[in-house]
Amino acid sequence: MLRRTMGARVARCTAWMLLCGLVSVGHAHGPTRQKVTEKITINAPAEAVWARVKNFDALKDWHPAVAESPATAGNTEGSVRSLKLQGGGTLQETLESFDEAKMKFSYRAKDGGALPVTNYTSTLQVSPTGPKESTVEWRGAFYRGYPNNDPPPDQNDEAAVNAVTGVYKSGLENLKKLAESR
Amino acid sequence: MGRLNAVSRQFSTIVPWRAAFVALVLGVVAPSLRAAPFAYITNQGSHDVSVIDLATDSVVGTVAVGRGPAGVAVAASQAKVFVTNPDSKSISVIDMRSRRVVDTLSAGDGPLGIAASDDGLRVYVSDWYRHRVLVFDSRVHHPLMSIAVGRAPAGLAVHESGDAVFVAERDDDSVAVIDVNSQRVLSRATVGARPFALLYDAPRQRLYALNVQSNDVSVLDARDLFRTGRLEVIGTVPVGKAPYGAALAQGGTLIYVTNQHDDTVSVIDAGTLKVVRTLTGFGYPEGIAAHGDRIYVVNWMNDNLSVLDAASGQTIKTIATGQNSRGFGAFIGDLPAP
Repeated sequence: MLRRTMGARVARCTAWMLLCGLVSVGHAHGPTRQKVTEKITINAPAEAVWARVKNFDALKDWHPAVAESPATAGNTEGSVRSLKLQGGGTLQETLESFDEAKMKFSYRAKDGGALPVTNYTSTLQVSPTGPKESTVEWRGAFYRGYPNNDPPPDQNDEAAVNAVTGVYKSGLENLKKLAESR
Repeated sequence: MGRLNAVSRQFSTIVPWRAAFVALVLGVVAPSLRAAPFAYITNQGSHDVSVIDLATDSVVGTVAVGRGPAGVAVAASQAKVFVTNPDSKSISVIDMRSRRVVDTLSAGDGPLGIAASDDGLRVYVSDWYRHRVLVFDSRVHHPLMSIAVGRAPAGLAVHESGDAVFVAERDDDSVAVIDVNSQRVLSRATVGARPFALLYDAPRQRLYALNVQSNDVSVLDARDLFRTGRLEVIGTVPVGKAPYGAALAQGGTLIYVTNQHDDTVSVIDAGTLKVVRTLTGFGYPEGIAAHGDRIYVVNWMNDNLSVLDAASGQTIKTIATGQNSRGFGAFIGDLPAP
């Protein structure tokens, strides 16, 4: 009797979790928000580096993992870019703020994209550190992909941090290469 | 109707008794030579709590707790700080004098928000995954009750009578009022999108709900709470992106609100409910609390605490904390006089 009740409960819970997975936009997330900050120093003026990265739809031009990155409304707040990755997979990101004077913009990713994260927001900023030297900082805040307790290894906190770190590092290294190449 | 009458009768008989008791406790605690208060900042990334002496604005200790500490509440009458550890599904109890963990309580599946009653005798905890509010006796640390609420309960606030508790039901876009005596939800009010933190303004009998996704603060009138059992939304104040924490300052005339996704703090005139100032220079600010003429803002991204002048909003000092500092709750507390 007890076992039957438990079985029914498990079935109900599973159905509920599946349903939640389908309509997960903005819903409950893991308990512990994670962050990643990556910085790189580039031997090029900040203005030149900013010119390469500032356009929201230009990610494909400097990030090695991105094949396509069209945006719906350029650098206007609310513009949505749809990323197609080189190895397959997609991401949809919305521009939340754009500050030309501070050489900085922020965006938010829709849940359910190629990265194992939810509630993901990110900021990219270029700062001058000398007449011909600049620093680019890319930082992100997010929760792991699995919203409930006891996540599978590919959707836990560590997996989320590793994935975002990989995106930032590879992007910044390539940007440095491109910006210093001439 | 009969139930509400019964509820209000229950409240009216219990409130004076509680009030008298609170006065008694405060009378004992009140003598002038009180120790300086401390801030207890939960560091979710380093799994510890930074203890900051507000007399000198410096870190005087770091207390290791459970995994991923987020919520914090001070039960001053018990000289204890309660911290939620959602990743280890527990609550750490810190003795304010020794600055050591004296007990660890198991607390549902995802303890997150936490608040203590004004008399410090009870601690309320929201269980993010099981959708319940858990109640603990802060003296003996026993669980007293568990009340079913809406989805993803987060921030909590306790009415000064101790008879009602407010809880933000994040995924239902609502705030519930729990009648502590009957152990059930008395009423609900629909607020903005994804309310997370709550702040109760006792002199005005108002509750502020911070709506993370609609980027505003719902203002709820609680004056009729014990007559009708209801909370009524009387205003909405637009603030910055992702408001996450709020504190009353300057004798309750100003409300400071942290805006995580803007790295700003909005200052609201509590009388006119208009934003009078927006302060910049924060890093994913989350927890916030006021003491005297100072405001303390926890910068999750920067792993530090900004000390502001409450009148001008200017940053006076920055204090390093542990990693991924949150300070989700009323994190400042006075040690009772010896």
